[in-house]
Formats: sequence, structure tokens, C-alpha cells
Amino acid sequence: MKRALTAAFLVLVSLPLLYAMSQLPQHGSATSPAYTHIAPRYLERGPEEAGAENVVTDVILNYRGFDTNGEVTVIFTSLAAVFAVLLAGREGDERSASEPRARTTPEVSPVASFVVRLLSPFVAIFAVYVVMNGHISPGGGFQGGTVFGALLILATVVLGKATAEKLQPARIRGLLQAAAPLTFIAVGVAGLIMFGDYLAFPKAAALAWVRTLWLIVIEIGIGVGGASIISAIFWQMGGDR
Amino acid sequence: MIVHLWQNIDYVASVVLFCIGLYCVITKNNLIKKFIGLNIMETSVFAFIVALGVVDGGDAPIMGAGARAPFTNPIPQALILTGIVVAVSTTALALSLVIRIYQHCGTIEADELREME
Repeated sequence: MKRALTAAFLVLVSLPLLYAMSQLPQHGSATSPAYTHIAPRYLERGPEEAGAENVVTDVILNYRGFDTNGEVTVIFTSLAAVFAVLLAGREGDERSASEPRARTTPEVSPVASFVVRLLSPFVAIFAVYVVMNGHISPGGGFQGGTVFGALLILATVVLGKATAEKLQPARIRGLLQAAAPLTFIAVGVAGLIMFGDYLAFPKAAALAWVRTLWLIVIEIGIGVGGASIISAIFWQMGGDR
Repeated sequence: MIVHLWQNIDYVASVVLFCIGLYCVITKNNLIKKFIGLNIMETSVFAFIVALGVVDGGDAPIMGAGARAPFTNPIPQALILTGIVVAVSTTALALSLVIRIYQHCGTIEADELREME
């Protein structure tokens, strides 16, 4: 009964959606309004104006840098919220105080361990490549950071948490997790001091290398921050600090 | 209208995906399955907006030597990059809340949780 009602409701929901879809400009047409207003300007002037051959990078880090600045703050805030939610429960939990959970890492087959050890340098190099090449090829800070975060999670699962944590010393871990908003704010303030606006990039044609450099700096910050935030969320949910 | 829908089959696919996600959110009892449904809904919206930027025969919007027009629209891709990151953040927060609910109540089935009140 509930399922039938839900199905009827979904048909009711999808009909107006389908009607709207049938009224949209044809898929893939180069004359649709989404493509004819601001996109040509970005495609034409993006590389020289914003400093990266990859126009997507231009849009997220330069033209709409404020948006991305807020976004990296959002992901950092979510990490803080995860910490707040999970750590608050751990203190008041008497069960864990009286009988601490077994912290032994389960036995992993030597094959899996060997393969992970063998692959991790290459995965790490790929992550660095994706971050550093984000301005001239597909990729960027978020993507490379996710690849590196996946490597950290894989190392945690297979090699144990202690090995994975060596990559993020406890002393600077907090700083690494905040790296993305911090680099954004640093570049933004540099723009404020040198060119009079928050997140202002140099406009002169001779300073094209400065634009590219700032983009790469932000990409590295986002990559480092993304990787450490993803691994921290994973560790936190695993029930370990 | 049907002909138009057939031409816009990519958009129709995202509507179908949206309905699958909504179905999960409504009918599934397990909180984690509900969040999986929410993620499917998010993915359908991402797919729809990225599909809006597609241009027939378009290349990736990366300039430099050998780049040939037309290029796909970079703006939807950039917006969806932001959207994906925010979706990951909300999913992480939702899952940590599920963990807390399980620690507190010993169950994550929605109807059992409702009876507990």
C-alpha cells in the first residue's frame, strides 16, 4: 500500500518535471541561452585574464573565487561539525571507559599489504600531478586531494592507522586540515594589499605568471586541506581519534 | 512533446534518477539507506546541470595548443564542482549523526526510533 502510494506520488512529481524538460532548449545545441551569454566571454578571455588554460579552473578560482572560498569553508566547517558530534558522545560514554574497545588491526594478507605498499608512491605522484596540473589539464585541488585522501584511507585500512598517520604529524594536523581556507584567505589578503580588493588578481599582461602562481598556490592548499579533511572524517567515523 | 523529450533524453534520465532517489528517501526505513537516496537525488541534479552545458562535438574547455572550438560550457562544470563538495560535506555530517544515533538508541531504523519517544 505504502509503495503504491509512493509510486503514484512519484508519477505526480515527475510529470511537471518531464513537462519542463520537454520545454528546454535541445540538448547539446550551441544556441541555448546557457551557452550564448557569459560562457563565450570566459572561453575567449579566460586564459589570458585569469591565468589558467583550463577555463573551469579560471571560473572556480578566479572569476568566482568568492564562491570557492565559501565552499572550502563549508567543507572545513563540516569537519568541525563531525568532530563536535562524534567527540561529544565519546566523553559521556561510560561503556567505552569501563571496557575499552579492542584496537587491534585485523590481520591483512601479505599480498594486499605488499600491493598497497607498491602502489602508494605511484598514487601519491598521481595525486600531486593532478593538483599541480590543474591549471592546464583536467584536475585541480579537489580532485587531487580526493585521490590523496583515498590513498590515506587505503593505507589506514590495510597498513594500520599508525602508518597512515605518519604522513600527517599530529603537531601540524590541525593546520593541514585548515589549509584550504587559510591559503584562500592568504591569497585574498595579498590581493587586498597589493591590488586593493579581496581576492584581486593582478591585471597587467606582464604579471601573467603571478596569476598562474596564485592559482597553483590555492590549488595546493585545497589539495592538502581536502586530503587531510577526508582522512580525518574517515578516522573519526572509525571510532578512533 | 514526446519528440522533444526524446531529444532531451539526458534530462529525462536525470528526472528518472531523481525519482529513484526520492523513492529511497520515502520508503526506506534505514537511515543510511535514506541518505543514500538523498545522494542519488543530488547526483541527478548534478548530472542534469552538467548535461545543460554540453555542446554537440564540444571539447573540454582547456585552451592551449591544439584546442579547437566548440568547447563545452565551463560554468555548469565549475558550479557542480562546488555542489559535489558541499554534498560530500553534508553526507559526512549526516553519517556522523547516524553514528551518534546508533550509539545513543542502538538502532537506526526510523520506525523503531519513532516508537522510542
